[in-house]
Amino acid sequence: MRFARNDIPDIADDYVLGLLETAQAEEVEAALPHDAQLKAAVAASRERFLPLDTAAEPVATDTLLWQRIETALPAQPGPGARPKPAPANDNPGAKAGHGWRTTAIAAMAASVLLVAGLAASLMRTVDPVVVAVLLNEAGEVQAVVEDFGNENATVRLLADFEVPSDKTIEVWTLPSKDTGPVSLGLLDGIRSARLAGPALPRPKDNQLYEITLEQAGGSPTGRPTGPILAKGYAQLPR
Amino acid sequence: MDGRADTFETLLAACAGGDRMALRRIFDAEAGRLIAVAQRIVRRRELAEEVVQEAFIRIWTHAHQYDSSQGSARGWIYAIVRNRALNLVRDGRRETVIEDVEAVQEQESSDAIMAAWHRLDRNSRLYGCLEALDEKKKRGILMAYVGGYSHGEIAGRLSLPLGTTKSWIRRGLTALRECMA
Repeated sequence: MRFARNDIPDIADDYVLGLLETAQAEEVEAALPHDAQLKAAVAASRERFLPLDTAAEPVATDTLLWQRIETALPAQPGPGARPKPAPANDNPGAKAGHGWRTTAIAAMAASVLLVAGLAASLMRTVDPVVVAVLLNEAGEVQAVVEDFGNENATVRLLADFEVPSDKTIEVWTLPSKDTGPVSLGLLDGIRSARLAGPALPRPKDNQLYEITLEQAGGSPTGRPTGPILAKGYAQLPR
Repeated sequence: MDGRADTFETLLAACAGGDRMALRRIFDAEAGRLIAVAQRIVRRRELAEEVVQEAFIRIWTHAHQYDSSQGSARGWIYAIVRNRALNLVRDGRRETVIEDVEAVQEQESSDAIMAAWHRLDRNSRLYGCLEALDEKKKRGILMAYVGGYSHGEIAGRLSLPLGTTKSWIRRGLTALRECMA
């Protein structure tokens, strides 16, 4: 609803003081994002009264309260968030699923273009079943995996990676939660490669692919243990 | 003060980016005060902690929506706690306490409201402008903001008719805006 301009300072004060009925307060909250004058009046009212709160004598807090808060925090979603799969990483230090904030819209748009371009170029040869664009935590495109579903996959690296001499890049996919992450193979050096992985079910839309940094020779446990360099979800070429 | 405001703004931006330590820093800096503010409204300490717990989750999930057109980042954080506390008492949970406990809490609430007034910086414009109001207007405004009382509750406690109370508070708030402008 749109409030009469003359009433805005009064409404803002009543809202900030908590004097509005619940329904009226909800109307104010609904109007706030679209009504710059109301927003400014509420902001000014808050600032006027804030010293009454910031002068309050703090009570002692205990860490239990923080722990309750922290355990209830959801992962940060972002614009265009996709559902998150189970983390495909055994290494608690790698904090899979945490910090993988959904990427900037610009990065997503770039990925879509990239996928479209790749799909177009691949029309000339054998089509992969799925293409996954792998992004780093900052949402930058790092690599593209094309999975042909016939135990062959290719990885194209699109960024520079620093790989110490005793480490190697390993490529993973998560065919299902029950299977858990499965290695598609190791990269020989830091370059794009064709991988001959194990026989797996035909790759699906939204299947997770990721590359991690593992010790030379590959993960000792058969599951990802090192930091995730990039990850992304498969898309079916159209 | 400006540096501090910048800090809260930066911390909110970090929260929006998924940095839990940023939320922890807000908690460490403000939780004790936020619980006190919530407790003035909801009365009971455990309810106040519940309010602050929910508020911190909301701060986390809504941090990306904050921008400076909504006022200071610190004010935004306090507003989230205040709104949750006010919603709780509007839902009637404050009224569920048994009567003799209520009498004790009424006195404590009155003390808390006066304590908020006395702790206010004497040199602040808010103090000076509230001080310039009639006692009942000042009292009504403090009961609403600090104690989270409704018009009806204030009318009852000041022994004034509801309509009179509403117009007193309205005039007091208008005078306060003009004084602080």
